Amino acid sequence: MAKKAKSRIISVRLISMAMTGYFYTFTRPRTRMPMSMIKYDPIVRRRVLFLEQKRSGKK
Amino acid sequence: MATTISKNVQLAKALPARLLTFLARYPPAAILPDGATPETHKTAYQEETPNPFLPTKHPVTGRWHNPKYSLRRQAELVKMAREHHVEELLPFTPKGTEERLRKRVELGLRVKGTGVGQKVKGHKHERQLQAKMEKRREAMLKMPELIRQYRSMPRWKFTKTFKFPK
Repeated sequence: MAKKAKSRIISVRLISMAMTGYFYTFTRPRTRMPMSMIKYDPIVRRRVLFLEQKRSGKK
Repeated sequence: MATTISKNVQLAKALPARLLTFLARYPPAAILPDGATPETHKTAYQEETPNPFLPTKHPVTGRWHNPKYSLRRQAELVKMAREHHVEELLPFTPKGTEERLRKRVELGLRVKGTGVGQKVKGHKHERQLQAKMEKRREAMLKMPELIRQYRSMPRWKFTKTFKFPK
């Protein structure tokens, strides 16, 4: 079977660096560099750094 | 001698009939008449079942027979005896105060983990809560420094150099 074409846009998870497990989901072009931003984490109730989750193996 | 006998008589008058019947059938060594050894001085009931509160194995057939007194009746007798302060005159029973206390110590409140030397296991998230909060606290302590680093360099550089914790 022919491989399915990879989509140009991917959705990524930005994970709270406060280790609360809280995350935001964004979409970005696949070729762009990983996203990161400072956003609100409601669990620690503070603005903390969010980094994109490491891509898991294949897919 | 005579005093103990009269004391026993006094006691007998004060006890309820059910308890008296029981003690007449299964007299403990403490209230036997003087000179009577417990081995020789047995009632017919005692010959048959030394302790009517426990199940017995038939010597010939090897079958187990239920106690002569059901657990409910045992408990009633124990309760009666306790009220009249003569519980030590009853033979060993699982319903006795001491045995009950021992069981309570051993098993706790029948809720797993509440006995002596036991721990309540709890749910996994409860067991891991402390470690989780500690991890979170440490992460929050490092957060200002992390944000300062993040702002001090271009983002691509930061995301490239940063090692993902976990």
